[in-house]
Amino acid sequence: MTGVAWYVAGRLLQSAVLLAFVVTIGFFVIRAAPGDPVLYLYGAQNISAETLAALRQVWGLDRPLGEQYWVYVTNLASGNLGYSQINREVVSAMLARKVPNTLLLMAPSILLAAAGGVVLGTTACRRLNTATDYVIGAVSMVGYSTPPFWLAILLIVLFASTLGWLPTQGMATLGAPYRGLAHALDVIRHMVLPVTVLTWWYLAAFTRLTRASMLEESRKPYLMTARMKGLSEARVFYGHALRNASRPVLTVLGLYLGTMLAGAVMTEVVFAWPGMGLLTFSAIVQRDYPVVLAVFIVSGAAVVVTNLVIDLLYAVLDPRIRYA
Amino acid sequence: MREQLAEVWRVFRRQRAAAGGFLALAVIVVASPSIVVLSRIDPEAISADVLGRPSLAHAMGTDYLGRDILGRVLHGVNTSLLVGASVAAIALAIGLVLGTTAGFYRGSIDHVIMRAADGLLIVPTFFLVLAVAFIFGGRLTFVIVMLGLTTWPQIARIVRAEVLALKEEAFVQSARALGAGDARLMFREILPNTLPPVVAMIALLGSSAILAEASLSFLGVGDPNVVSLGQMLTSGLEYVTNAWWVPGFPGAAIFVLVLLLNVLGDGLNVALNPRLRRGGV
Repeated sequence: MTGVAWYVAGRLLQSAVLLAFVVTIGFFVIRAAPGDPVLYLYGAQNISAETLAALRQVWGLDRPLGEQYWVYVTNLASGNLGYSQINREVVSAMLARKVPNTLLLMAPSILLAAAGGVVLGTTACRRLNTATDYVIGAVSMVGYSTPPFWLAILLIVLFASTLGWLPTQGMATLGAPYRGLAHALDVIRHMVLPVTVLTWWYLAAFTRLTRASMLEESRKPYLMTARMKGLSEARVFYGHALRNASRPVLTVLGLYLGTMLAGAVMTEVVFAWPGMGLLTFSAIVQRDYPVVLAVFIVSGAAVVVTNLVIDLLYAVLDPRIRYA
Repeated sequence: MREQLAEVWRVFRRQRAAAGGFLALAVIVVASPSIVVLSRIDPEAISADVLGRPSLAHAMGTDYLGRDILGRVLHGVNTSLLVGASVAAIALAIGLVLGTTAGFYRGSIDHVIMRAADGLLIVPTFFLVLAVAFIFGGRLTFVIVMLGLTTWPQIARIVRAEVLALKEEAFVQSARALGAGDARLMFREILPNTLPPVVAMIALLGSSAILAEASLSFLGVGDPNVVSLGQMLTSGLEYVTNAWWVPGFPGAAIFVLVLLLNVLGDGLNVALNPRLRRGGV
């Protein structure tokens, strides 16, 4: 086999081990929860001990833990994430409804922030140690340190309660008969505040990262070579330095896109946005363990797979990594 | 070593923002616990003055039970400081030991430790802590331990990289030639020299721990027996339109603590990392 094939095989194996790690940790943490799930669901009702025992037997809760783990893993391998007794629904169907909503919120925020952050970070580095640099640095530091839930509250007070311009809860106006374009506009109005909160934080993160990465590149000798060849400053800066500085930025962009599914618990809870974050939160509060476990596994898997794709892309694009 | 410290202090002091952040933080760390202890503020003392505006008697106003918000914020700040410091200490202890061990011995030990670190960096740890805190009850010590146990990989990675470079240095080789054992080499010779890049990380770990604890309390899985800024923020949320100060000040306190620690971490990073000191393009 060639170097690339070995590298790819190694990374695939590593990802598989990590996935197994995520599933195992999740399963045993949830099963370590105190209390009997059957009693939790039916304990308050007047049900005989025989019925409870029968329920345990039907659900497989009387079998040894190792066997339960094996059943869960084999079900998982065939795409079965379990059944929520509390919501009386197949877990994968619940997730399938929520994932698009979360992506609708997260993807625009992250992409918008990445584009803006690269522009701001590059500008700051271009005008290093000037007023522009300091202002961008100060604002991104404040943005990076703002608790998202607090910013959400400030925005709700300002734009929704005081000015009355924007809706604060949910994804669409309840009971409104909107169709087609009107519906899309309604959803967009609901998106404005949560997307602002998310973009604010991600923008600060991307700005800081781009500036640091550009600073690191701007000291390397190849830039002097480029200058000695007589290239214009703009060419040296945007053509050479930015090109190399964009690699860590792309890595982090990939990471953020990978953690998208798990990333917005706080924002979704504050704005009652019906996505994965809110689902997780309500599942935890309701002690809906199959859902908690499924969200944990799905979001963990998304990160593992994104990491794998990023690494493989680099191996293809950059020969230095392939043979290292 | 002395000269190096002086140099670090000189660079650090020149960064006004970081030095200011350090001073402000030092004042808070000293003042907040002393005020609470010396004046014996009871955060649960209620009064008839419900939802009172900020005034001379109550600088931050009173909440829906007539409790003095300033007193509660001070208690909450103490809780946050405790969380930040303890989580950073736990993560630091585990990260230093595992990072040094991994870098020093390499081989399969290194492999196991670093794969575990990768695993923890990849699983959604906030989810994990949220779920575990809810299932087992979010006592403060429990939350602190959980946060510490999930954040050490960041320290371990930096330490390991430093150890790999330091291991080959002449002073380590000469100590080995003098007959120093593995433990002495690792913890007396190498470990102290890995500290500079770790120091900046400690401030950032502290700030993210404070934010994580505030988020947990905000979601209602914090410790009900401790005054927490996140919990004050949630319980004040419904008064936000007619008494902004009830959720406003606790939220501002979280923001200020996190901001000061981040500014401090940034400043330390520049002061301790020679590559960042000189000018750019």
